[in-house]
Amino acid sequence: MSTSFEEKSVWIQLTGMIVGLGAYFVVAGRMAAEGVRAMPAYAAVFMVAVVAMVVFLIVAYTLAALIRKPEPSDERDRLISWRSEHNSSWIAAVGILAAVTCMVFDVENVWTANVLLLSLAASEILGFVLRIVYYHRGV
Amino acid sequence: MVNIEKVVIQNQIRSLRFDAGGLTQQNLADRIGVSRQTVNAIEAAKYFPSLEVAFRIARVFGKPLNEVFQCEWFMK
Repeated sequence: MSTSFEEKSVWIQLTGMIVGLGAYFVVAGRMAAEGVRAMPAYAAVFMVAVVAMVVFLIVAYTLAALIRKPEPSDERDRLISWRSEHNSSWIAAVGILAAVTCMVFDVENVWTANVLLLSLAASEILGFVLRIVYYHRGV
Repeated sequence: MVNIEKVVIQNQIRSLRFDAGGLTQQNLADRIGVSRQTVNAIEAAKYFPSLEVAFRIARVFGKPLNEVFQCEWFMK
C-alpha cells in the first residue's frame, strides 16, 4: 500500500523537526556546558536552525509533490490529526508549567526558554509519531 | 440495561467492488470523496467511516447500508 500525501507530509515534518531542532539542542547543550548564558547567542542558533528547517521542508514538499500529485486531506486524515494532537499536547502543558515554575524560582531566562522550546518540540514530535502509528495501526 | 463488551464492525466492500465489475479502490475513493488509502483502511477494518461516507459507499453499490456494513455485538 503506497503512502498518501498526508502521511508523506507527516514524515517530512517529523524529519525536519528532528534534524533541525535536534541540531539546535545539540549546539545549545554545548553552549550551556561552556557557560554561555546570553539569550541572543541562543536566539541566533535557533534562527539558523529554523531557517534550515524551513528550507528542508520547502525542498522536501516540492519533491514529494513532483513525485505524486498532492491529494486533499479527508475525514480519516482529520481524525488522525485530531487524535494525535489530543494525545501529545500534554507534553506542551507540562513544559509550560515547568517554565512557569522556573520563573517563580528566578531561574535564568535561558533555561526557561529552552525548557519551553524543548517541551513544544517534544510535543510536536510525539504528535507526528502518533500520526504515523495511527496511519499504520488504524484509528 | 444490556452490557455490551465489544462491537465488531465488518464490511463487504471488497467483494462488492469485484461484483461491480472490478471497481478499483481508487475509483471508489474518487466517487465517495476520500483517498485510496482511506478506502483501503476501511476495507481492512482499520478505520470506520462517518455515516456520511458509509452512505456514500452504499449508494455507489446501490445497496442498503446493512448489506455493506455488518455489526456483531459481544455481550458481557
